[in-house]
Formats: sequence, C-alpha cells, structure tokens
Amino acid sequence: MPVIAENYSLGLQVGIDKIDSELKKLWAQSEGAMTRASLVNLAVYSEVPGSLEKNTQLIAKITENHACRAIVIGADCKSKENRVDAWISAHCHISRAGSKQICSEQISFRLEGPCTSLLPSIVFSHLDSDLPFYLWWQSEFREPMDRQLWAWVDRVIYDSQTWKDFRAQMRLVESAQKEAKQRIVLCDLNWTRLDRIRFALAQFFDHPASHHRFAKIKKGRIDFAPGFRSTAVLFAGWLAAQLNWRIENRKGGGLLQFINLSGYKIDIELRERAGEPIGEIVLNSREVEFVVSRAKCGDLLEVSRGKRGEKLMPQLMPAGSNDPVSLMSEELMRGGPHHVYLHAVNCVRDLL
Amino acid sequence: MNRAAEQPEPNPLREGLSARAVPQPCIIVIFGATGDLTHRKLIPALYNLAADGDLPPAVAIVGFARREKNDEEFRAELEEATRKFSRQAVRDEIWKTFARSILYHQSEFGDEAGYEALAKRLDKIDKERGTRGNRLFYFAAAPDQFESILKHLKAAGLNETCKGSWARVIVEKPFGTDLASARELNRIVRNSFAEEQTYRIDHFLGKETAQNILVLRFANAIFAPLWNTHYIDHVQITAAETLGVEGRAGFYERAGALRDMVQNHLLQLLCLVAMEPPMDLSADSIRDEKVKMVRSLRRFAQGDVAANVVRGQYIQGAINGKPVVGYREEPNVNPDSRTETFVALRLFIDDWRWADVPIYLRVGKRLPKSATEISIYFKKAPAVLFNKDLSDQNVLVIRIQPDEGISLRIHAKVPGTSFRVEPVKMDFHYGTSFGKSSPEAYERLLLDAMSGDATLFARRDEVEEAWAFIDVIEHAWGAKKDAPGLFFYPAGSWGPEEADDLLARDGHAWRRL
Repeated sequence: MPVIAENYSLGLQVGIDKIDSELKKLWAQSEGAMTRASLVNLAVYSEVPGSLEKNTQLIAKITENHACRAIVIGADCKSKENRVDAWISAHCHISRAGSKQICSEQISFRLEGPCTSLLPSIVFSHLDSDLPFYLWWQSEFREPMDRQLWAWVDRVIYDSQTWKDFRAQMRLVESAQKEAKQRIVLCDLNWTRLDRIRFALAQFFDHPASHHRFAKIKKGRIDFAPGFRSTAVLFAGWLAAQLNWRIENRKGGGLLQFINLSGYKIDIELRERAGEPIGEIVLNSREVEFVVSRAKCGDLLEVSRGKRGEKLMPQLMPAGSNDPVSLMSEELMRGGPHHVYLHAVNCVRDLL
Repeated sequence: MNRAAEQPEPNPLREGLSARAVPQPCIIVIFGATGDLTHRKLIPALYNLAADGDLPPAVAIVGFARREKNDEEFRAELEEATRKFSRQAVRDEIWKTFARSILYHQSEFGDEAGYEALAKRLDKIDKERGTRGNRLFYFAAAPDQFESILKHLKAAGLNETCKGSWARVIVEKPFGTDLASARELNRIVRNSFAEEQTYRIDHFLGKETAQNILVLRFANAIFAPLWNTHYIDHVQITAAETLGVEGRAGFYERAGALRDMVQNHLLQLLCLVAMEPPMDLSADSIRDEKVKMVRSLRRFAQGDVAANVVRGQYIQGAINGKPVVGYREEPNVNPDSRTETFVALRLFIDDWRWADVPIYLRVGKRLPKSATEISIYFKKAPAVLFNKDLSDQNVLVIRIQPDEGISLRIHAKVPGTSFRVEPVKMDFHYGTSFGKSSPEAYERLLLDAMSGDATLFARRDEVEEAWAFIDVIEHAWGAKKDAPGLFFYPAGSWGPEEADDLLARDGHAWRRL
C-alpha cells in the first residue's frame, strides 16, 4: 500500500483532475482490511513554507481520534509561477476493537502564484458531501475575504495568539461571519487553550452556596508565559463577561482594573513568568483564595481553595496541552456556537 | 440527562463549557468494600472520574467491610485492582491524590456500634475535608445483607440529612428474586430512604449505546413515522455471552438466566426501544414511559408459557475451539440442576403502537460469541417489482456491545444489465466515528447518582412491574404438573433448536450475529 502515509509523506502525486478516481483506486486496493471514516471536512490553509509536510504530521495525529477528510493546502502567493500540485494519502490507525484499520483521507495541494485565488473551487470540489466543513486558517486573514468561500464554512478555526493586530484580524473574521449570515462559528485556539483552566476555576462555584463569593472578588492574578499575554487578557475578559464586570482602566505594569455591578473595583494583575501559557490563576474573594496552577508533573492542574496562609489540600485535574494536535482535538470535540468567547472578546477587545 | 436537578442557580462560569458540572462534595460509603464489584468496577470507575477531573474537589470514599485492615492496606489492594481493571492507565501522581480520599471502616454488617462509629467518622471527615454532610451509600454487599445495613443506617441516623445536604443509596441488582421479595425489599429500603433517595442500578443503562437508543428514536425524524406496527415486522433482542457461570454458581443456581438478565437488562432495553416519547428528559418523565411499556406487556397465562418461552441449559461443547464442560459439571452446581442458562421469549406489547408485533428476546451463556444487540425488522416492500424472490427485509441493528454502533440493511441493485437486487449494509461504528472513548457504565452511573440524576436508574414501580411479568413464567416452570421442558444445547451453539422453532412458527429466524 505505497500511498498510505506511514512516514508523513504527502502520498501519491496525482493530476488535479484525477483526485477522485485515484482515491477510489486507493480504497479499492485496500477493501476489507481498511475502513474509510469521516465525520467532518477539515481544510487546513497555510502560507508558511514547508507547512504541507508539517500539517500532514498534525493531521496524522489528529485523525487518530477524529476521522475526517483532510484537505491540506500550502500556498505561496508570492511566487510568480502559476502552479498547482496535488497528492492523495490516507492516515490509518488500528481501531479500538483492534481488528480493523480506520482510515482518513488526505488530499494535499501546493498552490503557487496567482492561482491561490482558486482556493474556493479547489476546496469545494473535494468536500465530502453532507459533512460539516471546518476551515483551519493558519495564516493572517487578508482583504478581500472571499465571500464564496466563507459562505460554505461551518467553523473557522484560528489562533489569535499568533496575530499581530488582533482588532484588524477580528474585524475581518467578524465581517466574514456577518456576510455568511452568522452561519460560521468562530473557533479561536487561544480560547481553547483556556478550556481546562476555565473548567478548573468554574468547578469551585458549582454549589450555589459559593455564589456569594463572586461579589466579593476584589483582586486576582494571572501568570502567563512570554508570548501569551493575549491568552491571559482573554481569560480576564471571560471573568469580566461572565461576572458582569466592566473594564475601568488599564493601569501600567500589567494591571487591569474592572468594576463590578455594585461599583467595587477589581484588580487583576497580569504577570509574565516562564512556563506554560497560563501558569497560575489566583482569585481572592475576601479571605478565601481560589488557586488553579500548573502541577509540577506537567499535564495536570492543581486546584485548591482556602484561606490565605492555610495549608491547602490541592486536587489534581487534567490540564490539557498547548500543542496544536491537542488544541485541535479539543476543538473538534466541541459543538455549538462560541458566544461566551465573543462576550469575552468584547470585554477586552481594546486590550488584545 | 436531568442536569438541572442539582443546579437551581446556574454557575455563570459554567456557561459554554462542554464538560458537565462537577457534583457536590460528598462521601461515598461502599458496603461490601472488599468484594469483587468494588475492586473491578467501583474504584476503577471512581479513579477514572478523578483522572478526568469529574469528581468534586472534596470527596471521600469510605469502604465498609468485615475484614480487619487499615486504610493503607485497603488503598494498596485497591491500587493493585485499579491498575488491572481501569479503563485508562493509572498515573502515580493522580492515584496518590485520589488514594488520600480512600478510607477503610471495619465492622460487621449487623454490628450497631460499627454504624455509630461510622456516623462519627463521617462527621469528622465532613469537618476535615468539606464534604458538607452529603452521603452516597453504595450497597455492593450480598442482597441478604441489605436489610441489616439499612436498619442500622437508620438507627445511626445516617439516612437523615441536615438542611442543604443529601443522603442517597445505590442498590445493586438483583433487586429481589420475584415480585413478593422485590416488594419486601422496596418496603425495607423505603423505611430508611425515600424513593427519590433510592438509585437502583442497572449497568446496561449506563452504556453509551443504550442511551443512544433515545437519541436515535427521538432526534431522527426519519424513524419516528416508521416506529410502529404499520412498518415494523418484528423486533429481536439478543444478549449472548461465551462465558459460563465463572465462579458465580451459588448465585446462578438460584437465579437462572430469566431472573439474572431478562427481568432487568433485557426488559430495560426493550423499554427504551418500545416506550412512547417522554414529555422531557427528566428522570420521572422517562421512567413514567418505561413503566407504561412494561405494564403493556401481554401477561402469559400459565398454560401459554411453554408455547412462548424456551428455557435451555448448556451441556459440554466447545468455545472458540476449546472444550468446555456442561453446566451441571461446573463447580458448585447441582448435578441434577434445572437452572436455565438460556432463555428465549416471544412476547407482545398490547398498545396502539406495537399491536401484533412479535418481540423476541434471547439470552444465554456459552453461546458462540459475546454480543448484545437489538434488531428492528421492517416489513417487506410490496412484492411487485424487484423483490419477488427476496426474503431479506430492511433491518436496523443497534449494537450495544461490543463494537457499539448502528447498521441499516437496505437493498441495492447489483451492477449489471439486469435488475438483480442484493442486501447491503450501512454501518455506523462508535469507535470509528467518535475519537473520544466512552466512559464505563459505572463511571456514568456513579456520577449521575452523585449529581442527583436518577434517569438511568430503575424506579420502584418499574422493578415491580417487571417482576410481575417474570413471575408467571417462573411459576409455570416451577409447577409440579405439566411444567414446560428444559432443553439442552451444546456449549458453543446458539441454544436449543426449540428456540429456533419459536420464531420459525411465525415465519421468522434469529438474526445471525
């Protein structure tokens, strides 16, 4: 089975008009031993040189848990030569039952030159019908946004942590969303990065008896790694949106000041520390301190609640991982709109 | 399903988070803590919940049993078992934190002082760990101990709660051995715990595919109009296992396949397949509909049992090419035993939806493969065009275990110049389609009980109605005169031929699994 991507090769190079027939041949050769599976169309777009190979590796890992038809596109818009190359391959994994190979297809394209404007037609003609279409956009968004393309997208996935100008990029994404009549769900991997930490903090307040603590929060601290300030700000935005705080002012030295519904001020300190994107969250509600921090052993969070100075008995919770495969896997497991994300963004948009 | 039960005020920080709310802090007291169920299922399930971050931050697990041992010895035993039986590999750092919440309480089940000491110890744990007076009592002990445990829990005041806290009891099957004993057990439980505090566990309902039956039926509009006597020809439910009695001879000799599997697991699956749509997804709405369904089962007259129920017992044979002994030769089994290891039933549901649709249930030990599945056979298309010679029908198969999924058999034209039609299968596999592995049934059920969601637990009236249906069959089998026969089948076969005849009389055949 030479075209099966065992070593993350792009697979079999095929003529662009032969993709469907070559895919059929691929499955005909392997009938019985392998099962083709797909729950979603996942297109990945990047303009970074070498991205095709890198993304093929990522897709190989992602498809271990998320069967999809992957359309991986590497674009070189600056090239003067007009050229399209295509490959097909399959990523196969032994099923949990242990008897069958479960395979996801990958179609890869290298686009050079002005032909990058052909992106919609390339994507549209290779979607697996009736399945949702997720577009993972790894580059900066540029004007003009292709209306035809966005009208087909169900979820657009991006990582705002890599953006140089959050407001400009967000404006483009939101205008695309508006033109698509709100059909597109915006999925920010920078938000996904916070998922486990939000969960860890939220569980302190599941019992209604603890809700009075919200009104008494007066200060907090978010430790973030270099390059992840936007992640920390997004977290503060989430707290503000959900607890009805509004931004009061932005003090120097990484201090954000919010004001709650009763008019009390809340200081949130953003502190840069080497380590994980978000290293520790501390919220103080009068004498009680809520702490979520990264455990020493890596992929776990330590959560504890207690009075300051007391010896706390931390519990461990899953922390998730910051690698793109884990983030994408988390994102692909989710459904529904991300309106909480948009509320969080709106609270701190000017700070991002 | 009934998420709102414990959340009168929503936590604003929960909004949009995909994971379910963590239950309130609590102490889980397991009676029969040194037994097999605790080691194989309960502690591994609790460990997996802890590893996934689903347990409350303040939780304690107190094992209650007779044997002399201390906390450390108990933890060491449980660690060994969890490493062997856990769904996910045990991580040392998580186990270390989890193990701190495990404690051992030594007492005889009938020793009053043991319960008084337990009450004091639970209060102390509340103060030390912030478990807020919430108690979940899990009865993993032998059923003949239930009464004594319940009586003493009540005497020690452990069934009562102070304001804002809760006490719940999980009762493992068998929930009685007939209607009279089930009623008696219900009475005993009710003396100490109200119905809304009582969670009767049937682990089949914790399985992902069992829960998916409701989704399949009520979230897919294409099936709703077909799900009735006008379009369904018959229904088959099979629960087959290759295992024999495996050291459970003492229990099995008294129970048999009908009491062990049909009264609970198979009737629960049938309820999910046949019940009317519930008003909402609350525990009582769903259970109301299940009870109605069981009440609608046509009761057999004693004389009808032989024609509609086949009982069998395995004799020596082979499983996967390996010779195995017959049931009567198993250790601790009476050499003249008449306990059934196989049962097949033909039954009807006397309601508007299912009038005249035969339902066939089959359960057995030492069958050729282990599989549980539900098959819905649709009526044939009119025999006028392509299918004059076709005997195959459209069949919707819901595979409960293993290889959980759903398949639909349809007809397709064979490529060629003639109109040759053959059946083909459209297949959905959970393992292929969803990356996330399913939690074990006990994980889901323990979490539900901690959260106060009783949807997947059997209610008193469900259990009693099921026994009322089963009792007629048991009485007929136990009759001194004209009792229906016990038929023998070789281990590794699909049961006695009489079970095939049961369907053949209606022009049907068991589905080949």
